[in-house]
Amino acid sequence: MSQTAVASAQQTTAANRRRFSVSRILIYALLAILFVTQLYPLLWLVIYSFKTNEEILSGSFFSLPASWQWVNYENALGGGSYWKYLGNSVIVTAVTIAAVIVLSGMVAFAISRFRWKYGQYVLLLFLVGMMIPLQSTLLPLMLMFKHIDILNTRWSIILPYIAFQTPISVFILAGFFQTFPNEIEESAIVDGAGVWRIFTRIILPVSVPPVVTVCILTFINIWNEYVLAATFISSERLKTLPFGVYSFVSQYSVNYGAIGAFLVLGALPVVIVYFLLAEKITKGMVAGAVKG
Amino acid sequence: MKVLRVKPWTIAAFVGPGLLLYVCLVFVPILVSVYNGMFDWNGIGASEWAGFANFHKMLFNDKVFWPAVNHTLQMAILSLVIQLPVALFVAILISRHVRRANFLVTSYFLPVILSVVVIGQLWKTILNPASQGGMINQILDKIGLHAWTHSWLTEPKYAMYSIILVGLWQYLGYHVLIQFTGIQNIPADIYEAARIDGADGFKADRYITVPMIVPIFKISVVLSFIGSLQSFDRILVMTAGGPAHATEVLASHMYYQSFLSLKYGYGSAIACFLVVFSLAATVVVNLVFNQLEKRYT
Repeated sequence: MSQTAVASAQQTTAANRRRFSVSRILIYALLAILFVTQLYPLLWLVIYSFKTNEEILSGSFFSLPASWQWVNYENALGGGSYWKYLGNSVIVTAVTIAAVIVLSGMVAFAISRFRWKYGQYVLLLFLVGMMIPLQSTLLPLMLMFKHIDILNTRWSIILPYIAFQTPISVFILAGFFQTFPNEIEESAIVDGAGVWRIFTRIILPVSVPPVVTVCILTFINIWNEYVLAATFISSERLKTLPFGVYSFVSQYSVNYGAIGAFLVLGALPVVIVYFLLAEKITKGMVAGAVKG
Repeated sequence: MKVLRVKPWTIAAFVGPGLLLYVCLVFVPILVSVYNGMFDWNGIGASEWAGFANFHKMLFNDKVFWPAVNHTLQMAILSLVIQLPVALFVAILISRHVRRANFLVTSYFLPVILSVVVIGQLWKTILNPASQGGMINQILDKIGLHAWTHSWLTEPKYAMYSIILVGLWQYLGYHVLIQFTGIQNIPADIYEAARIDGADGFKADRYITVPMIVPIFKISVVLSFIGSLQSFDRILVMTAGGPAHATEVLASHMYYQSFLSLKYGYGSAIACFLVVFSLAATVVVNLVFNQLEKRYT
């Protein structure tokens, strides 16, 4: 598929080169402008984060700082709250990803491989849930969590995160499991393997691609989630990174450089992950969108 | 035919945990919302039966509610009509003219993966008045358009559009990516055949790319439309619904009524409306696209 696409792209480019060179320049100009508008704000933030307050306010939006103010980063990192927020985000996201894979993997396996009348109804139930906006559950969830006394604990955000990532994950995994031939289970049963063994030893090991997709979708959604965390968490030591960034910004509202530095630090982990795994992430996000 | 015959207990063990968690944390809260919507309650004292009074007040006696609905739709429709055609156009250009397309698409996509908090604060800084370091106003000042400078986020006239602009900026790359992938999946021989018949360049796009991409385009529409109906974290971070409710959307109205004014009953009523609204929007989008797909395929 990709080969034919490349071949056709090359042929069309060759054809076009002969004909419209002015329009080609216009096209490249347009794509370049878009490149600048999409990326320059992020670069601007990095430069901003190295400036002094005077430089930021003086109106020289394009210039580099006279001397790079690493002190902004010292201020942002001072007190160690950044590392605490980062650690919380890692814990919350890791637990959510692990739970989503196990729980939705089991549901998807049951729906797609068990001889069972109600599988399609369960799938339909998950489909409906995908359309329910998360924020409409904020208030009732808060009341429920207060009632069972888990408000302001990690569980109060991890549990809804798992619940809201489950539908899409079930869809992706069930879609993949359905493609296996029945002989897999037949031979496994002959060999005397139980259902759990078939699931963990045979099905899961060959399902790496959809599991990676689920990991990526869950990571991007949960790592960046702000509203739920800001509503259910109140103690400083449990804040996740987006919430922490928000608190820092509102606290240091006049130290522009330090705010810029904290924003850069807040964006950095996910940007690093993106540089390492860009192709996997874009593929995963498309797969998630298409299934959703 | 599926071959795994298992005992009901095994099915329960596999489906149970995931389904239970999901039903308890997604469906039960919706029902609780409907129930709570019928009470007057501030979360502390005794709740008082109110019947449909909350819903009645919401629909007929709330000066913020209908403007909020209006802003919600405005955000959804503007993202749709601006973002998607641009994304499709860019996706066509990239797949037709750029050799190393992946680099470009990957770069456009970068803002999508950043947290709304970072994006919101970044753009707040960009849109600030020049005296607070705002980039856009500083540029306007430099090129002699001082009259055009505005405090974009605190003037009611511009605040909503500024919020929408940030959404367009952040998610454009997502739609370019989705549609670019869609175009790559159109078999090349269709274009071959069309060229022999004399359809090339934009003519080929008009008769091949556009109709063939309808199913993928639908995904973009759903994502963009439903996404903007639901996205209020950006508003929370950037304007908190202000100035004077000029950027209030349904979800933010629900949020502030519930958690700031502590009107739990009333907040629940708005939450119910939001669920119905989202489901209805999804149904409408699907109906429209079923018609389109019938016409084109």
